[in-house]
Amino acid sequence: MAKSTSSDVLTLIRSLRSAYAATPTNLKIIDLYVVFAIATAVIQVVYMGIVGSFPFNSFLSGVLSCVGTAVLAVCLRIQVNKENKEFKDLPPERAFADFVLCNLVLHLVIMNFLG
Amino acid sequence: MAKMLFLPLFILLLCSFECESFSAENPTDRRLLVLVDDLAIRSSHSLFFKFLESRGYVVEFRLADDPKLALQRYGHYLYDGLVIFSPSVQRFGGSLDQAAVLDFVDAGHDLILAADSYASDLIRGIASECGDPDAVVIDHVGYAVSEIDGEHTLIAADDFIQSDVILGEKKIEAPVLFRGIGHSVNPASTLVLKVLSASPSAYSASPKTKLSTPSITGSTIALVSVVQARNNARMLISGSLDLFSNRFLRSGVLKAGSLNKHEKSGNEQFVTEISKWVFHERGHLKAVNVTHHRVAELAEPAMYRINDDLEYSIEIYEWSGSSWKPYVADDVQVQFYMMSPYVLKSLSTDLKGLYFTSFKVPDVYGVFQFKVEYQRLGFTSLSLSKQIPVRPFRHNEYERFIPAAFPYYGASFSTMAGFFIFTIVYLYNK
Repeated sequence: MAKSTSSDVLTLIRSLRSAYAATPTNLKIIDLYVVFAIATAVIQVVYMGIVGSFPFNSFLSGVLSCVGTAVLAVCLRIQVNKENKEFKDLPPERAFADFVLCNLVLHLVIMNFLG
Repeated sequence: MAKMLFLPLFILLLCSFECESFSAENPTDRRLLVLVDDLAIRSSHSLFFKFLESRGYVVEFRLADDPKLALQRYGHYLYDGLVIFSPSVQRFGGSLDQAAVLDFVDAGHDLILAADSYASDLIRGIASECGDPDAVVIDHVGYAVSEIDGEHTLIAADDFIQSDVILGEKKIEAPVLFRGIGHSVNPASTLVLKVLSASPSAYSASPKTKLSTPSITGSTIALVSVVQARNNARMLISGSLDLFSNRFLRSGVLKAGSLNKHEKSGNEQFVTEISKWVFHERGHLKAVNVTHHRVAELAEPAMYRINDDLEYSIEIYEWSGSSWKPYVADDVQVQFYMMSPYVLKSLSTDLKGLYFTSFKVPDVYGVFQFKVEYQRLGFTSLSLSKQIPVRPFRHNEYERFIPAAFPYYGASFSTMAGFFIFTIVYLYNK
């Protein structure tokens, strides 16, 4: 039973990797960017756990800038994905312009809240 | 013509200022009015009056039923102190009545009131807390030995209040001779003090009638008491007029059961010291020069910030009868007060009248007060408060960069840099 489970997991990962290999490069770049943002957020949360929450506004802006970036990147990924039929009428240039604008607003807010 | 009218007016004004000898700067009474039943009291109590005159008082004698009697004219009081040595008067003459006497005290003036075994309702009304009519204090144990007094109504009292400021620093050795009525003092009142109390074996009753339960007994009987009103007016209420008389001042005293015969009774020292107190020659405090500022600054700020360090100082002087002397004590406290005291500090003194301390403003903002509430037995009360607002930090008074927050700054900027790089890579990856 245990053997079959571990082999199942291996099979699952292998199929996932082969399926992901077919993903277009621009989506892969977005995924990498999201991973980077989430990793930065996790590092900050761990740091806050060690040092304490004293400059709480700085902590919030640091973490929220990462989370916001990740959310916006995921939104971009949804909009530029060719297989997603929901946004087939939306040109990818328009989606990217929205993404840039939202990022500018996000970072403006973060800068003001950073302290 | 106008000039001629103006001149006498000016002189009148000048005179009225000159007469105003009693003031906050010079609190000793100067002009005393003595009301007597009978001008014989002037000679029978002459030692007491001579003593007052020798200390610079202007003493004016009037009969208590003099029809021209008046305490004030054109809204100004003519006297600084009133001595009522007329126990039997039924009504005062002129415009004077019980309400006028109480108004006189309400205006901050002082009063000595001596009753006697035949005190009238008027005098009792002023003292308001006297014992039974025609009852006298009798003490079969603590009486003064004399040939003529078989009823033991001449009492040798030596139960004084323990207060240097009221009775002087020199201890009164000899007992005080007393013949008259006792009174009770409302124990709930903090303004009235028993200066001379009867001994535990005394009681108040009429010696002529058969004894029923006496209304007041023992040391609850006050023989002489003083009141210091909230406006610092002082009153002395004595149950005996003879206490002030030449006969009692001069006579020797032998207390029953004691072998120690005193050549001279304690009355002279007692009336001297207590009259000094009543007429504000002692125990009158003033507080001046209240200052506060931040540490290492001199100017007084209009407002403090939370957690400021500040210094507070005040000068307290005691009137000695002729000049203001530094007051020395170690129990003066200041409160930093907003609904309740947030800071309560004892003040240090430099022994020259200056009291000072320093403390940190609490971490609470709002409208505070510096409060000094100083009430001590026999001293006039000091009650000062000074309002001062305390504000929180302004936004630019915090630290600009906090080292503990550097990772958060780094994360924010790296996310921005990441966004920039991502944009380039995303756009040029074809």
